[in-house]
Amino acid sequence: MIQLRDLACDSPEGRPLLEGLDLAVPKGGNLLVTGASGSGKSRLLRAIAGTERPRRGEVRIAGIAIWPGDGVLSLAGRVRVGFAFPAGGLLSNLSLEANVALPLRFLGLPPAEVARRAGAALERLGLQSVSRLRPHAVSGSARKHANLARVLALEPQLVLLDEPLEGLDTADRAVAQDLVEAWAGDSACTLVMALEEAQAFATLDAERLHLSPVAMPMEST
Amino acid sequence: MTAFLARLGAPVRGFLEFLGDQAHLVLRTLRHGLALRFDQLAVVGGQTKLQIRFTGLDAALLVGGTALLLGAVTLIQAFSQLSGLGAENYIGMLMVLIILRELGPLLTAVLVIGRSSTAIAAELGAMQLNGEVDALAIHGVNPYQYLLLPRWLGVLVSVFALVVFFDAAALAGGFLVARLKYGVTWGFFMESVRQALSNIDFAATLLKVIFFAGAITFHACHFGLRIRRSQTEIPQAVTKTVVSALVAVFLIDGFIAALFYF
Repeated sequence: MIQLRDLACDSPEGRPLLEGLDLAVPKGGNLLVTGASGSGKSRLLRAIAGTERPRRGEVRIAGIAIWPGDGVLSLAGRVRVGFAFPAGGLLSNLSLEANVALPLRFLGLPPAEVARRAGAALERLGLQSVSRLRPHAVSGSARKHANLARVLALEPQLVLLDEPLEGLDTADRAVAQDLVEAWAGDSACTLVMALEEAQAFATLDAERLHLSPVAMPMEST
Repeated sequence: MTAFLARLGAPVRGFLEFLGDQAHLVLRTLRHGLALRFDQLAVVGGQTKLQIRFTGLDAALLVGGTALLLGAVTLIQAFSQLSGLGAENYIGMLMVLIILRELGPLLTAVLVIGRSSTAIAAELGAMQLNGEVDALAIHGVNPYQYLLLPRWLGVLVSVFALVVFFDAAALAGGFLVARLKYGVTWGFFMESVRQALSNIDFAATLLKVIFFAGAITFHACHFGLRIRRSQTEIPQAVTKTVVSALVAVFLIDGFIAALFYF
């Protein structure tokens, strides 16, 4: 499902984060990416999603060239991708319900199916009571759950999760963890998850990739 | 010497890059717009309606009031300078030359730049910072179809409607002055305007509307979507949008005037 070859990414300030990364994740496979803050986990996820152009290297999703290529637009209408952002990512002028429904409406699903899937996803994440509110009017954990609900409703072939448990209390973590484990057990769904610490998913059946910050060349004096 | 040449060349290169980016945005929006599926029209249509409401409907009072005053002031000034020279015989020509041909489309564009292109740049910038544009694209909602196309269509329809409204209100303002000053009748006033108008005026105005709408939308989208790192970039992008769109609109206006009337 995912093929990376000789991937190199930089931080926005130009600091090298990844160098020469080769990786292959089969369809239905799971990958857990861990590493300290600033080690390039989010960059890697964004490069895979097609929103971050790598400095060098190739990214292919389901055989489709993302980089070099048109990035995320190459996947439109060909592979359903769900991405849960660590923060933000929800349209601030739409309610949580409309946020979850928008990708489904754009897929061209009938209104009844859109309502059913969005409703079920919001219910599973415990967001029914706040579904008509906009993102700024709900708590941070509700926003994170809404991100997950949008991914869930889309029934994606590729799920990318960036710190899905960060900032959640025990009850909310349990809900998110259940969902992630369901995706991990689904053979039709490929899961890539970035976490600073993988303790919460210690028993998850997944390949593991630990990223370390690339050493900066020493300045000569 | 090389450094001097580089300093001279940098703005030229920047300008050419800007032009290239504009062409890229327009072509991509057109290409993705043409690829829109029938079942996506409701979503894109909804966004277009929102844009028309904000850019067109909400600005109608401002545009109408400005035009009414401008039409009245134009004839007040004309009568004060040309009294005794039979100014009432030139009412139609004055209204067509000053308002309908030039100030109508130009001032409408300036008002839309002030109200809407600033809003588009700020909104897209905030969306970019919040990861909303990336989120849309990742989840299969093409940003060219969901963000750029509706804004372009919305601004195009709005600018067209506002120019018509501006011209009508300016004529009404001019008629009020002509009526109060010379007792001109509505029939005489409209006949005088009709005689001064030609098909070329309609064609030139239509071209201006199309190009103004494109310039207003894509300058705003360019500067808004370039925001990447911090909220402090938003006011900078808005300022750049206003300056750049104003320059573009004046250049387009001059070019079309030269093309049709020179």
